[in-house]
Amino acid sequence: MLVPIFTLKLNHKINPRMVAIGKYDGIHPCLTAATQAGKVFIHNPHTRAQRPTAHRLSQSTQDSDISLLNINQSVSCLTAGTLGPKSTGDTLLVGSQTNLLAYDVHDNTDVFYKEVTDGANAIVLGKLGDIQSPLAIIGGNCALQGFDYEGNDLFWTVTGDNVRSLVLCDFTADGKNELLVGSEDFDIRVFKEDELVTEMAENETVTSLCHMHGSRFGYALANGTVGVYDRTARYWRIKSKNHAMSIHAFDLNADGVVELITGWSNGKIDARSDRTGEVIFKDNFSSSVAGVVEGDYRMDGQIQLICTSVEGEVRGYLPASKEMKGNLMDSSIEQDLIRELSQRKQNLMLELRNYEENAKALPGLSEGESKMGVIPANTQLQTALSVRRASESQKAHIELNISTPNETIIRAVLIFAEGIFEGESHVVHPSAQNLSGCVRVPIIPPKDIPVDLHIKAFVGGKTSTQFHVFEITRQLPRFSMYDLNVDPSAPEPTGKVTFCINDRPQRVVMWLNQNFLLPEGIDSPDVTFSALRGGGLLRISLQTSGEITLRTDDIDLAGDLVQSLASFLAIEDLQAESDFPVYFKELRATLTEVDEFHSVHQKLTAAMADHSNYIRNMLVQAEDARLMGDWRNMKKRYIELYDLNRDLVNEYKIRSNNHNALLARLKSVNQAIQRAGRLRVGKPKSQVITACRDAIKNNNINALFKIMRAGTTSS
Amino acid sequence: MELNLNHVDYIQVGVTSQKTMKLLPSAGRKSTQKVAVADHDGVVSCFGMKKGEAVPVFKSLPGQKISRPELGGALGTPQEKIFVSSGSEVRGYTKKGKQFLTFEANLTESINAMHVSGADLFVCASYIYNHYCDCKDQDYYLSGDKINDVLCLPVETVGRIVPILACQDRVLRVLQGSELQYDVEVPGPPTVLELHDRDGGKGGEEVLYGTADGKLGLVRIAKSGPVTSWELDNEKKKGGVLCIDTFDIVGDGVKDILVGRDDGTVEVYGLDGSNEPTLRFENVLSESVTSIQGGCVGKEMYDEVLTTTYTGWVSGLTTEPQQMVAGPGEEIKMSQETQGKVAALRAELEQLQLKVLQGREKYQQSSQSSTAVSAVPVFSINDKFTLCQDDASYSLTLEVQTAIDNLLLQSDVPIDLLDVDKNSAVVSFSECDSESNGNFLLATYRCQANTTRLELKVRSIEGQYGTLQAYVTPRLQPKTCQVRQYQIKPLSLHQRTHTIEQERPMNTLRLTGQFSFAEIHSWVVFCLPEVPEKTPAGENITFCFQNTFLGTQLEATYCKGEANFKSDNISTISILKDVLSKEATKRKINLNISYEVNEDSVSHTLRMIHPKLEYQLILAKKVQLIDALKELQVHEGNADFLIPEYRSILDESAQLLEEYKKQPAHLERLYGMITDLFIDKFKFKGQNVKTKVSQLLAILNNYELDSLMEFFSEA
Repeated sequence: MLVPIFTLKLNHKINPRMVAIGKYDGIHPCLTAATQAGKVFIHNPHTRAQRPTAHRLSQSTQDSDISLLNINQSVSCLTAGTLGPKSTGDTLLVGSQTNLLAYDVHDNTDVFYKEVTDGANAIVLGKLGDIQSPLAIIGGNCALQGFDYEGNDLFWTVTGDNVRSLVLCDFTADGKNELLVGSEDFDIRVFKEDELVTEMAENETVTSLCHMHGSRFGYALANGTVGVYDRTARYWRIKSKNHAMSIHAFDLNADGVVELITGWSNGKIDARSDRTGEVIFKDNFSSSVAGVVEGDYRMDGQIQLICTSVEGEVRGYLPASKEMKGNLMDSSIEQDLIRELSQRKQNLMLELRNYEENAKALPGLSEGESKMGVIPANTQLQTALSVRRASESQKAHIELNISTPNETIIRAVLIFAEGIFEGESHVVHPSAQNLSGCVRVPIIPPKDIPVDLHIKAFVGGKTSTQFHVFEITRQLPRFSMYDLNVDPSAPEPTGKVTFCINDRPQRVVMWLNQNFLLPEGIDSPDVTFSALRGGGLLRISLQTSGEITLRTDDIDLAGDLVQSLASFLAIEDLQAESDFPVYFKELRATLTEVDEFHSVHQKLTAAMADHSNYIRNMLVQAEDARLMGDWRNMKKRYIELYDLNRDLVNEYKIRSNNHNALLARLKSVNQAIQRAGRLRVGKPKSQVITACRDAIKNNNINALFKIMRAGTTSS
Repeated sequence: MELNLNHVDYIQVGVTSQKTMKLLPSAGRKSTQKVAVADHDGVVSCFGMKKGEAVPVFKSLPGQKISRPELGGALGTPQEKIFVSSGSEVRGYTKKGKQFLTFEANLTESINAMHVSGADLFVCASYIYNHYCDCKDQDYYLSGDKINDVLCLPVETVGRIVPILACQDRVLRVLQGSELQYDVEVPGPPTVLELHDRDGGKGGEEVLYGTADGKLGLVRIAKSGPVTSWELDNEKKKGGVLCIDTFDIVGDGVKDILVGRDDGTVEVYGLDGSNEPTLRFENVLSESVTSIQGGCVGKEMYDEVLTTTYTGWVSGLTTEPQQMVAGPGEEIKMSQETQGKVAALRAELEQLQLKVLQGREKYQQSSQSSTAVSAVPVFSINDKFTLCQDDASYSLTLEVQTAIDNLLLQSDVPIDLLDVDKNSAVVSFSECDSESNGNFLLATYRCQANTTRLELKVRSIEGQYGTLQAYVTPRLQPKTCQVRQYQIKPLSLHQRTHTIEQERPMNTLRLTGQFSFAEIHSWVVFCLPEVPEKTPAGENITFCFQNTFLGTQLEATYCKGEANFKSDNISTISILKDVLSKEATKRKINLNISYEVNEDSVSHTLRMIHPKLEYQLILAKKVQLIDALKELQVHEGNADFLIPEYRSILDESAQLLEEYKKQPAHLERLYGMITDLFIDKFKFKGQNVKTKVSQLLAILNNYELDSLMEFFSEA
């Protein structure tokens, strides 16, 4: 059994996922974590000498090993590592919703302090692609930004949604790092500098990513899933009812291969094999785990795994010694093996008994005689998927029809599927009087994603207490919420995207048949659907020249279609022309609003500065009055001061509303760029994104729309 | 004294009931003892251990499920004859496995408890007790509630036959011949009885009991009356007690008490100088412990605690050190032994696999035939649905022989599903269509591999009644699922007690009409938990109940044509009135309902709620402050500047948080009950005060007992 080699109680709360270890003087590792009240604490047990209290840093009065760093904003992420080429030690990087601070703890100076309008939800430090100097890359609201040690932003791109996790790893095995981004739209995206290499769809917000080795990386989702990918293939995953707070790669059993260490919200720490996900070690904290890091904290040349809990408990584990033979748990392998084999034997014997007893059952045994839920042996379950338009009583949905061919009834249907239900399952349980051999399940997928429906149907008689379980898997195609029946009076969509392909039309037909829910296939690539989710039409047409036009007012749908078709036809680079007048108009309005909010923001800041000056004066006057014993005046001043304070509070509220509104607008601008990018594939895509960014930087709105339409800057 | 026991698995038999494993007395002083186990397949297996290998002595043929084995023999000789009860039959085997006795007890129900003493045989079916001497009928007794266990004080020491019945209605019934001598009130429904020190202690009159809610006690059954020696509460909310034994495992010359519980806990209690039990050792197995015995099985000279679990695992917790530190040679030998075992198991598995494949094929083929039926035998589920007194919620435990794949919970009443730490299954709530299909809860639990036992917690609301259904699907081919139903009764939070305080101000409800005793009894069964289903003997009956949440009481007295209900809680009376009149209307029986409302009872109930409410409010307030205070502490560096009240909150923060976490939604439930009380009070006056509920909630938000009482009397 592996036991911690040291345990510390730090008496400071630790914010989840905001833990790092930095050697700020180049030698001594210090545990650094964000705590309450906009502070960051640095635990340095190695050099107890008193450091001067100045600038941001102050010594904690409770504990001489801990110094506190005042950020005065709630911290949203932090990391530490080598940033500058000349600095002796590591640089501490602290991100908040509005700023990024690079700080030299050793010299007690700011390296740079940058305003970042998109916020910093996640941060990673390291080298990216061909960029020479190490970058501090932050992920905010739909945007990624990388700064070098001087604070220059050398890297910028947009992504689909708010970024929640970042990691650098050599995904393509070309010797250079790619950036992996996990975001709130459930995707893990891989960026080779600013070019999107690939994306992997998950089914929840990606909260953590960590590099394992080579092109292998671990991930964690907000629904309690953790797993390991090798490139785009998922090796394994497990789901728990708890949430994974932090994941880290560490070779705990000293076999030369790192394990995935997960810290859970219930205080559990476990180490899982990177190949199978099998648990090789676990331990428990009394409160939720905050972060898992590694470092040579005892300064004896051995790297320890260091786990921290939100209540400030810290435990360090050394990798297992050779004698333990990789057996870190408190159990004997032999016992477990025998138990497992016996269990299997028991299971097989039970199964065998089922068959034997079944063979004994006489044909014609009626339901009344037993509650076993006897059904005819040839019962087979039929399932059918069809698109249903909205009616008065029901919203538009996809209907899954499950029926039995005989007099048996379906007691209940369980559907397990990812990403389309609120939880992971949907249950239909008709009341006793509504029991029948046919169950209709309405399904409304919220997004255009392909889904496997794992259906379990309980089939038996009306009074049975035991039912046969039929397990069937059906696939829901990606674009299933689209109906071929078109209302002829529906207005023609104004938006469109046009691009050329060099493939046979049959291939496009094939793509249509695979990705749409069509009752009886189609053979022409010219089709019109009505979108059930958003309303409006979708018209797809293919000219003999190979030019495809997608007409829809939904720019997201157009992007999804382009991406899906391109990957089906294996197109690497695709240039496209587009026009979405309605959406572009909205965007133009948003951009104007951004300007307005910016100017309001400036005005408010100026007003606040005025007020604070005024307060300073007033306070001096009030105190003067007090010292002079002029009670009447003092009272008056203080009443005024109180009013002013109230005004300030109100102003603050306005400011924060204004700020939130601004953030929302900026997010939608970033999303617009991302959407424009998604209409293209490969090189043209990253070109569009870069060009859009330049246009926004230069505040050239007309150029921005031109690029979005044409896909290039020139022309 | 530290007790160190190591887990060893011996063999696996079929599913076992409570108290179905016995250790045969050893032949010589040093030799190991033989084990006799009886299972649901009707097989009695007797085996001994030789060099870590289970060597069978004999194995009987399969038959009806065996409910209990007992050891017997002529008084004064080693008790080594094995008696088993199965169905309504008792069989006797010698220690070599020769059947020497078959005795048909001629009971209509099957025997569920048995005791053997010399030539005396005591058997119990659900309500009936029978005493036979030399297989001749002697005495007979009909119990008021279900009999869970039976015991007879040792005739050699006591000098007379004193049978004791453990009955579900929280009493031990001590008999004399066919008559009841006296009742012993115990704190919970007793599930198991055992003689202290195996011989009843010094006077032979000491009896240990365990209850379904996990309590333990020692009581002396003296001629004059019972003397309680000690009672042990179940503070840690462990499972119910299933089996007890006394054995000196510590080796200090004093016999220890071994306890097995239905949540898999195995405990060893030592008796200290004042004969009070203290916990010496605890181990948790993954399934419920059905029998426990102390003795020597695995290796001579090493005592151990032998247990069997629900799925039939016979395993020991031995004092023998598991891995000898003797040297490498010993270890290799050890693994060679196991290697042989593993190889044998593997070979067996392979053969089974073949057979199963054949069976599977045959089963598949039968699905082609139009006349064949598929009938899978019913698998056994060990389930328990009990009210926990401490937090007034129901706990549902389900245990299956093989791993559970998933569980579907469906309820037609609004209930809350609470999270249980021990439960690792991933829960997912599905949308409910309460209007068309009457579902108020649809939840699926997807279990982790190897989960054979599931524990859930459910919170009900008094007055809302219906059925909770659990569909259990094990991982066994062909896949089937079984449904279990649990009634949520109208007064679901009530529990039987022995007496009520008559001096409390009482409200009464009086029913008269043309109903039989059986009818009124069935209505009471419908309304209240823990009432025996069988109509009690005699003309009339009185039951007493206590509300586990509020502590209010209810007394139900009824006979043919008349029923009286007395309670100090007006809501209880109101619920009874509604439900009973509804039931009577359903059966077209004319009821005369009269009630007497005692005005004082409302303020009395409010006063009873007051301390609970106040405590919760203060707790909530304190917990709310913790974070802010901690932040101040960090900011200022210490907490010296705070007033003592706040400082004490900081000091106690850990306990406060724990307390708060233990009682989720406690405050909301109290508010709900006060609101019900308010509405019910005025309902009896014929006023509808639903419009004033918002005022009431406003008062509760600024709670003060006086203002609340005033509001109740004013409105």
